Formats: sequence, structure tokens, C-alpha cells
Amino acid sequence: MNKIIQSRLLRIAATFLLLQALIVTLSPAVRLRAWDADYRFSHWIALAWWGLFVARAHYDITRKLPDADPYLFPAAALISGWGLLTIWRLEPGFGIRQMLSFGVSLLILIVGTRLKDIEFLRRYKYILLTGGLFLVALTLIFGTNPSGSGLRLWLGYKDLYLQPSEPLKLLLITYLAAYLADKLPARLRTIHILYPTVILSGIVILLLIVQRDFGTAAIFTTLYTIIIYLATSRKRILLIALLLLAFVSVAGYNFVGIVQARVNSWVNPWNDPSGSSYQIIQSLIAVANGGILGTGPGLGNPQHVPVAISDFIYTAIAEETGLIGTLGLLALISLIIARGLRAALHAPDLFRRILAAGVTTYFGVQSILIVGGNLRLLPLTGVTLPFVSYGGSSLLTSFIALLFLLHISNHLDVDPAPLPKPQPYLALGAFLFLGLFASALTNGWWSVVRGPDLLTRPDNLRRIVEESYVPRGLLLDSANTIINTNRGDIGSYARDYKYIDLAPVTGYTDPTYGQAGLEAALDDYLRGIKGSATSILLWNNLLYGTNPPGLDVRLSIDLYLQSRADEMLAGKSGAAILLNAQSGEILVMASHPTFNPNLLAESGSNLLADPDKPLINRAAQGQYPTGSIMLPFMQALKDDDPIKVYMTFGFYEAPQIQLPAAPAPGNESALRVSPLQVALATAALSADGTIPAPRIAMAVNTPGAGWIPLPALGNSIEAIQASAAGEAVISYLVEDQSYWRHIGGAREGGSSFTWFIGGTPPNWQATPLAIVVILEEDNARLAERIGQELLIDAMHP
Amino acid sequence: MIAIAALILRFALAIALYAFLGWTMLTLWQELKQHSDFLASQKKPGINILAALENGREVRHLFFQSEVTIGRDPNCDFPIVDEAVSVHHARVSYHHAQWWLEDLASTNGTFIGKSRVSVPTVLIPGDQFKCGNTAFTVQMELIDEKLSPIVKQQTDS
Repeated sequence: MNKIIQSRLLRIAATFLLLQALIVTLSPAVRLRAWDADYRFSHWIALAWWGLFVARAHYDITRKLPDADPYLFPAAALISGWGLLTIWRLEPGFGIRQMLSFGVSLLILIVGTRLKDIEFLRRYKYILLTGGLFLVALTLIFGTNPSGSGLRLWLGYKDLYLQPSEPLKLLLITYLAAYLADKLPARLRTIHILYPTVILSGIVILLLIVQRDFGTAAIFTTLYTIIIYLATSRKRILLIALLLLAFVSVAGYNFVGIVQARVNSWVNPWNDPSGSSYQIIQSLIAVANGGILGTGPGLGNPQHVPVAISDFIYTAIAEETGLIGTLGLLALISLIIARGLRAALHAPDLFRRILAAGVTTYFGVQSILIVGGNLRLLPLTGVTLPFVSYGGSSLLTSFIALLFLLHISNHLDVDPAPLPKPQPYLALGAFLFLGLFASALTNGWWSVVRGPDLLTRPDNLRRIVEESYVPRGLLLDSANTIINTNRGDIGSYARDYKYIDLAPVTGYTDPTYGQAGLEAALDDYLRGIKGSATSILLWNNLLYGTNPPGLDVRLSIDLYLQSRADEMLAGKSGAAILLNAQSGEILVMASHPTFNPNLLAESGSNLLADPDKPLINRAAQGQYPTGSIMLPFMQALKDDDPIKVYMTFGFYEAPQIQLPAAPAPGNESALRVSPLQVALATAALSADGTIPAPRIAMAVNTPGAGWIPLPALGNSIEAIQASAAGEAVISYLVEDQSYWRHIGGAREGGSSFTWFIGGTPPNWQATPLAIVVILEEDNARLAERIGQELLIDAMHP
Repeated sequence: MIAIAALILRFALAIALYAFLGWTMLTLWQELKQHSDFLASQKKPGINILAALENGREVRHLFFQSEVTIGRDPNCDFPIVDEAVSVHHARVSYHHAQWWLEDLASTNGTFIGKSRVSVPTVLIPGDQFKCGNTAFTVQMELIDEKLSPIVKQQTDS
């Protein structure tokens, strides 16, 4: 019966891994959305290797240990294969090493099944312990780190590395089980516990102070406490251990920098998302990206989480298989724990009972510690997830521990040893299951409840990856001429800026420098989040884990007039705005000096440091002193009080537009205003005293309903009487020309500025227009030339 | 198109994972059922306990449950009116295919012959034991529990 169950479970496990390998093979094609892709095949070696060793181990277990628990080995084989494929998919180089470690581990398991029993461990307990301590001592002296830096927790010989603290856990459990089983039949006195306690404290202190490995120290303390509690069922021990743990935590927090950093980034990760909390926040973003269903193996981007193959392998699994996958993983770990505890309770003698319970505790506590750490349920500790994480020492230790459980459970007709007090075992089971349950709930919290919020974070690197796979919407001018488009192919899409001089206005979208201008303001449309049907959004997310293709946006900009403005402003510092005074549509928005966004990767840092600030959109974000340009507005209001004028013409309010605009200025009289604000006020003079709501994004092209107009963000405001506006403008009419204009100057500090405002006359029959030009120099002639030519061009198309 | 193929495979992957867990639960449930069926099908003999009270009266009870408590408490399975008997005096229980007698830390003790019962002791048909001033004799009867409901017979004589 056992044999049938075990072989059936192993077949299902193999099917699971086969499907996973298949999806990883197809994943490059899914990413490129085409059959023609570089399919991945190398990981099939790992799967074949897995199958070979697992089949052989199955054969030996069913033959040599026929009554062993039939669930333990299949569950362990499944999750170790899952880990192996995940590691290979992330970093094939480490995958090969993990594959070899897996082979060695199973080889030892296979040889281990030939042992008659594990009673010999009990006899050689002191040799085992001494050996373990010797290894630790060696690490203290010769310790290295395979990556060359960081904690020196490994013993290395050429390319082989061993982390002695991993097998030491098992040695300590074995020693304690043997020692307590020998002492317990007599009445246990406190003096008996003293001796192992001293040894344990020594190990913990060494780990903490010399190696600074807080996670392993915590595991040793917990393991020790639980084993002593199981053996003696004295609650006082738990209390003492809690106090000890608190003391160690406080000491570690105060004297060990890495512990302090980890605790701080646990309590308050959002304060320092790019520094000490980088790992945990990237981990949570990855979990959120997985959501419920996951992106699919090979289709997520868990490589953005540091050390995804060992410390954060749970995160990688969560991203690629979603909550569905991690709940299954946690259930499998629970299964191993449940069967381990069952083996402990059915064990024929005390030694084997404590050994089984200790080994189960090791699996449980270590899993909870690292899964909880990944999910910010617990402070992050760099321990491995048993069977799953990358690491030969950990994998080997896990499989030897599994071998112990198989041997201990291999008794059918032997009566279990008497159990005087069952509470400690029940408490241990409850503790471990509650820990895993809490992990499952936390996982659900991050992937479902908080997921959408986390994904919009700017440090979500998946957005950048997505940009290269999903075409971004185009930016078009009022005649549907392309302003910004995409170049490259799927997988390497990049933004292509066709009309370079408009760069301060349209902005850019760049993996390094982020987003600016209209590209930032209209990002939701350009990325297809807004405007696409919910079903399309869900479908794209389900299939590709991305948003749908972006939607094109049509601007009110007239590229012909825009190019005229840019020609005339070339080489100067300043801005020009021409708008439809009635509808608020912005026909020209020029800002100089400008920059070439196509070369942002090369010149970005220079641009950021440039004293001329070419990245700033002077038309909307620039703030200039008003000077004598206020005259027509005062006349229109028939009031000399500048504050009243500012109030009436809306200079105290930031314009509502889909563009980054200068914030509303404070209530001081020496006001600095943006050209856009002046343009809107000028529009009121040209069009019956009403300040229009400015518009630059006119319509969006949705797949379902075609072009849909985008409404203005603000409302138009009736500032003054139409007659008052007309009267004020009449004195500024230009002879022989059918427009009005006013040129003003302003000074501030050592700089001078020239303003030009103008517009169509009150009786103008066609589209009323308003124009503003600002130059950051004293040059009334140029300002007038630009304003006049633009206005006439616009009035007589 | 390929994404839809991958999506189907991803669902199959989830199904395989939960098939593993489902199959585990199914076999565990089968084992549980098998075990409980096995326990239920085990035949155990009923026990017939005859008590000779101090006043010379005799009380006889036939039990089919696997645990019988004897004591002065009227809620005991076999209540005894005897000042020398403790409230919960002794327990007769069936396990490991035997009827066992154990003393429940009674004041005056339980005796088989002259020896005091300090550890659970196997009872065989015809055995006599004494609680306080009351003497008990046990007889076993093999009965298939499935056929007859648990009854408690009382015969006064």
C-alpha cells in the first residue's frame, strides 16, 4: 500500500515538474508573443537528473524501508525539484551546482536506506558533536564566502563549499536526542540540562558575535528550547528561552550592525526603499506581481529581487506561480511537518521520538523564519528554505534529516513508546501550523489586498521591463502627425522622439531618468491602463502579466505653428504659447533651450546638471516676474491694485492641465507667474473676458470606440465683463493690422525679461487667439517679431 | 496564441500541484476509514459483573461498553452503596484484547485476593476482586457489538 501511494505521488510530482519545465521552455516565445523565439531547453537536463535519482531513491526506499511514511519522500522530492527548476530558470550556472548537490544528497539518502537502523547515532553522539564543533572552529579560522565578500560562513576547498552551521543543526538535534534519552528515564534535574546548555550557548554566541549570523543563532536557540521542552514538558523553559531570545535580540540590535539594519528595515521598510529595505520591498513587489495566479514559470521577473535563488526563492516562486502556487508549497511543508510529528509520536523509543520531533522542528522553524522574512511577517534572516533554496549544505542536511524520519517511521507493529505528557507535542504542532498559516495569510495580504498599490510604486522595475515588450501609445499632433513613437522590436522597444524641439513639453520616458512632461502626465493612457476595457486588461494580465498595448493620444499642438515658434526661439532662453482663446486648446507650446530626448541615455546626467535647465518646460513650469506686462489687465479691471488683478485673472491658481505645471504661487504681491497663466489671462482679454480651461490632450484612440475626446481638467472662469475686455484691448490694437499686442519688461536681480502678449481683436469673426512670448533677456524687437509672426500665421492659415 | 497554450499549461500545473495534495488527502482519509473500520469490526466480549454487597444482597450488571467505572457516585457505571468504597473507586476497561482492572487512587484500595491492585491488572473469567466491603466476580461473554445495541441489564435477586 505504501509503495503504491509513494509511486503515485511521485508520478504526480513528476507531472508537475514536467509541466513547469515545459512552460519555462515556451516562456521566451510567450514574452515575444511569437512562435519564432529562442526556446529554453537546458533545464530539461535538471529534470532528467531529478527523475533518475528520485526513481532510484524510490526503488530503494520501498525495498529497504517498506513501512516508512509514504508521503515524506514524494513531498520533499516535489519541492526540491521545484526549487531546482526555479534556480535553473533564474541562473543556469547555479542550477548546475544545485543539480549536482541534489545528486549527492539523494545518493547519500539511497546509501542511507541500507542502514539497518539509526541507533548507532545514539552511541556516537559525542563524536558527532565534537566533529560538528570542530567544523565550526575551522570555519572561524578558515571561513570564506563563495561570492568573495559578505559573511564568512563557508569552508571552501577549490570549488566546493560547505556551510558547517547547516549540518551542525542536525548534529545538535541528534546529540540532544541521544543525551536526553539517556538521562530522562532517571528523574531529570536542572543540572542535567546545564551541560548541553553551555554547549548551545557557546555555539549561539560564536555565531552571533564572530559570524554575525543572526538567523542561524535564532534557529539554534529555538530548536534547543523546543527539544528541551518536548523532553521535560516544563513550561518554565519556554519562558526562560523567551527571555534569552529577547536578550539576544536586544544585544544583537545594539551591537551588531547587520541585525540593527534588518530590524529597522522590517519595522519601517518604506523609509529607505532604495537602501537597507531594498530587498524586502523588491520582494513584496514581486509577490504582488504574482497576484493570485502568478505570471507563470519563466514569465515573471524575480531576478530583480537580490539573491532570488537562495534567500528569496519563496518570493520567486510567489511571483511565478502566484498565491495558488505558494499555498500549495506551504501545504507541502505542512504535510512534511504533520508526517514528521506523526513519526515522532509513533516512534518506538524516546531517542527516536525526540530525534523525529527535533528534525521536524528544524524543517518547520527554518521554513517559517525565511518565508516570514520574505513576506515581512518576521525580520529578514538569511536562512535557507529547506529542500528548495539554493545551497548544497542545506539540501544535503535536509535530505539526511528526511532519511532520519524515514527510518524512524519504518515501524509497523512496534508499540509506540509511552508518552507521559502529550501537551508539548500538541503545542509544537500548533506552533508550527500557526506559523505556516500566518505566512499564508500574509502572502494573501501582499498579493491580493495590497498588491495593486505595490505595483504602482516607482521602484517597481517590472514597469521598465514591460515598456520594452508592450508598445507604448503614440503622441500625435492635431493633424495626427506623429510626435513620439516607438522604435525597435518586441523585447527591445524604446521611445522614438520625432519632433525633438517639443521635448520639454512632451517629456520623455526612460528606464534611468523616469518620466517627464506629457509622457508622465498621460502615462496611464499611453500604457493602456486607462481607456482599455477591463476585460482586455484582465486578459493581457492573465496571458502576459502585462498591460495591454498603449493607446494613442492626440494633442492640440499644431506642428506647423510649433515649428515656426521653435525656429524663431532657437538659441534663446524663453517660451511661447499660442492658444485658442475660446476653447483653451494650446496650439503652440515652445520652451527653449530644448534637448534631444533620443540621446537621453548619453546626455541625461549632463542635462540634469545644465545651468540652463533644458529639461524644464518653461512655458508651464517657468516662473517669471510680471513687470509692466500687467498694464492691459489693470485697464480691463479699472483697478491699480496688483493683488486684485492677480486674483481676478487667476494668477494665484495653478492651471488645471495634463502637464506638470508650476504650483500656485503664494499670496505675495511680488508675484512670479508662469507663461501659461499669463496666456490664459490674455485669452480672457481676447475672448469676451472668460478665462478658458486649458487643454493639450484632446482625444484618445480606444480599441473599442475609436477616438474619444478627453475633457478639460478645469472649468472656464468668467473673469471680467466682455465689454471691459474689449475696451482694454482697443488701445493696444496695432495700426493696419487686425490684432492687439503689448510688450512689457521686467527685472529681477541682475536678469531682465521681455514679455509679449497679444491676441485677436474683439470683433474678430474667426477663432479667437491669444499669445504669450517670454524671453530671458531684454529684447523687445525679437519678442515682438516672434509674437507677431506666430499670431499672423495662426490668424491667416 | 502561444500565450494561450502557456496559460492552459499553467492551469494544468496548478492542477498537478493540487492533485498531489488531493491524492494525499484521499489516501489519508482512506487510511483513517480503514483504521476506524478495523477498530469497529473488532469483537470484544461483554463483561458481566456480580457484586456481593455487605448486607448480603447481590447486584449483577452486564456491560458492553469498553470502560466501566465502579464507585459510590451514582453517576458511575456501577454505583455501589458502601461507605468503604470511594466516590470513583476502580475502573474495568477493555484494551489490548484484554479486560483490565485498575484502581483509581481509592482510599481503601482494590484487592485481588490479598494483593492490592497498584498497576492495571488483567482480568480473566471467574476472577474475584474486592472494593471496600463489596466483593465482585467477573464473567465474560463474546458478543458481536454490531448485532446488539449497547444495553445495560440489571438483575436484582
